[in-house]
Amino acid sequence: MGLAKTHIQSGASTERTDGNIITTTIDKVVNWGRKNSLWPMPFGTACCAIEMMATLASKYDLSRFGSEAIRFSPRQSDLLIVSGRISIKMMPVLKRIYDQMPDPKWVISMGACASCGGVFDTYTLIQGVDQFLPVDVYIPGCPPRPEDLIDAVMQVQRQIHKGELPKGSEVAYDE
Amino acid sequence: MMNEEKEEITEETQPLVLEKLREKFSDALLDDAETQNGVSVVVNKENSYALLEYLKTELAYSFLVDVTAVDNSQLESELMQYDYARFMVVYQLYTFEGETSRIRVKVPVHEKDLKIQSVTELWKAANWLERETYDMFGIDFEGHPDLRRILMPDDFEGHPLRKDYPLQGRGERERFNFEKQNR
Amino acid sequence: MQGGMERTTGEKMVLNFGPQHPATHGTLRIVLELDGETILKATPHAGYLHTGFEKLGEHLDYNQYIVVTDRMNYLSPLSNNFGYVLAVEQLLGIEVPERCQYIRVLMAELSRLADHLLWLGTAALDLGAFSVFLYSFREREKLYSIFEKTTGARLTTSYTRVGGVFRDLYDGFENDARDFITNFPKALKETHTLLTRNRIWMDRTKGVGAISPEDAINYGLTGPNLRATGVAHDLRKAEPYSSYEKFQFDVPVGTNGDVYDRYLVRMEEMIQSCGIVRQALDNLPEGPFSLEDNKVMMPDKSDAYGHIEGLIHHFKIVMDGHGVQPPQGDHYCATESPNGELGFYIVSDGSGTGYRIRIRPPSFFHFQSLPHMLEGGMVSDTVAVLGSLNVIAGELDR
Repeated sequence: MGLAKTHIQSGASTERTDGNIITTTIDKVVNWGRKNSLWPMPFGTACCAIEMMATLASKYDLSRFGSEAIRFSPRQSDLLIVSGRISIKMMPVLKRIYDQMPDPKWVISMGACASCGGVFDTYTLIQGVDQFLPVDVYIPGCPPRPEDLIDAVMQVQRQIHKGELPKGSEVAYDE
Repeated sequence: MMNEEKEEITEETQPLVLEKLREKFSDALLDDAETQNGVSVVVNKENSYALLEYLKTELAYSFLVDVTAVDNSQLESELMQYDYARFMVVYQLYTFEGETSRIRVKVPVHEKDLKIQSVTELWKAANWLERETYDMFGIDFEGHPDLRRILMPDDFEGHPLRKDYPLQGRGERERFNFEKQNR
Repeated sequence: MQGGMERTTGEKMVLNFGPQHPATHGTLRIVLELDGETILKATPHAGYLHTGFEKLGEHLDYNQYIVVTDRMNYLSPLSNNFGYVLAVEQLLGIEVPERCQYIRVLMAELSRLADHLLWLGTAALDLGAFSVFLYSFREREKLYSIFEKTTGARLTTSYTRVGGVFRDLYDGFENDARDFITNFPKALKETHTLLTRNRIWMDRTKGVGAISPEDAINYGLTGPNLRATGVAHDLRKAEPYSSYEKFQFDVPVGTNGDVYDRYLVRMEEMIQSCGIVRQALDNLPEGPFSLEDNKVMMPDKSDAYGHIEGLIHHFKIVMDGHGVQPPQGDHYCATESPNGELGFYIVSDGSGTGYRIRIRPPSFFHFQSLPHMLEGGMVSDTVAVLGSLNVIAGELDR
């Protein structure tokens, strides 16, 4: 339904302006498709992973929002959900998994531990994965409720819809 | 735990295991006490393996519950009592039979000689427990088949559960080598 | 299952399983050495979720540490809260009122159900039974709502306090809990029809990952994994705590110690837990839900706001170095958590903060025994065995 609408709108605008507009239209169509087919890579380590499972399971059912195709291979996914505590032993693994994901890729940092270390200000825990990864959406909470995770996924979808680039690609272009 | 009310009843209802241990390891036992749920003994390092073996084979303490250590460097009373031994290696044993189900064996270990005999021969469970104790405290278990770090990365320096190691670490969490660990 | 032997090539292949793998349910890593599809050697690696819980225990006071115990075995936080405060209370030499003991038993058993349900869902999911995952989460969500109404949080409950629980059960608790335990066995029957006599499930689990009782004890296995080998050892029976001696329940045991037995033992334990919950609801004593000793428990809020004594007591509890102060000494206390023997060894120097808090996690021993169960088997069994052991990374690495 949404696709047809986009076509009609863009078709109308093509007639009035020069051809360049078609590029943006394709972008829009691509973005529309992309936002509704996010393939998350769940990097679940601790408590938040249990809530992430609950989000995917019967009651909350993330697939209602077009991102149920959970992929455990980073090469097939475009949304990394970091949920849980990341230790100094785990961080290189996470970094490698992020590097293996194809562009464009988004990152959700789920929960207090992934975002800032949470209640664990200890020798082994990374105090926020954003020191090493470009994070697009943070979710507060310890652990966040499933609704919060759904909201974060929709936030990513909104960003994609607006045509915003993920943080990760900005970093790449800067270099 | 040595509560006041506990000491009053010790004379009459001595647990059998304590009597046997006193008899057999009279020179090696540094201290013994009854606890709320069993018995606690302190034994010197030279005889720790023999005592644990005796407990397992003769007294049916077949279940090794836990091996860990305590850094006593800030606990003055313990230091004084055991000749300023910095570490106390703690074994918890359990038996499925008999009245005294739990026994705690504590072994003082000096910082200048961190070696203690491994009990991996007796219990397979001891393997990882001793590795963890090595990782966290630096206790060197002699005869352990594979004594290396278990919880911390292999190239980590220091022993986190020692009292002189700060809670926030020494900056490991901010600067670590991606390349080296990423194997 | 013998087919793999013929295809062996004599060349070894090293397969890195984890630390990020769907079947690890977290951050476990196993390095497998394979000859064809046969596992020659399995080396589990731990520590990817090491958080420094034990070190934190030396810096937080006894009540603050309850928050940390939530995040240890996050499938059943209430059992962890319970085990920890019990250890501190025994060190202090206090006993909580009977109603509180019953409330704790109720919550511990409900969280045992939640734990086993998640185990069931994920273990079945790993072997391809996706419906079971959805079914068990449907039931789990009901438990979550009970936990949330009681403690204010779905998962990180922090419900217990040294000397009690922080608030009484809510008004409709009995209804909700009774409703759950009446409907739950029916829901569990659905899973039984899906799995118990299912040819594929039986082929993938029977005789897989077996361990003998002697080896299980030698490796330090506890809980359902030990009971599946035939050892009827349950701390709730062996050294009853918190009024468990007043409850009638059976300790289910298996015979072969394989994945299928672990499955059956856990399924039966859920039914037994329902029975314990029912008995606790039937006999729930009236009276205070916490110790009424203001040296240990915080006074009621109205007391703290309305009376000077209450205010002083409140301050004493929360002020650094004035709260709960056990006498100098050490104590080891173990409880039967859903996974097995969860022990806390606490050394106190007489101050308000633990001198050393050691956690004896059941998962640590289960993960250690993994090579014993895997070696000589097929690579596809790894998932089944790992799933059946219910190794929780948070508890394993602490």
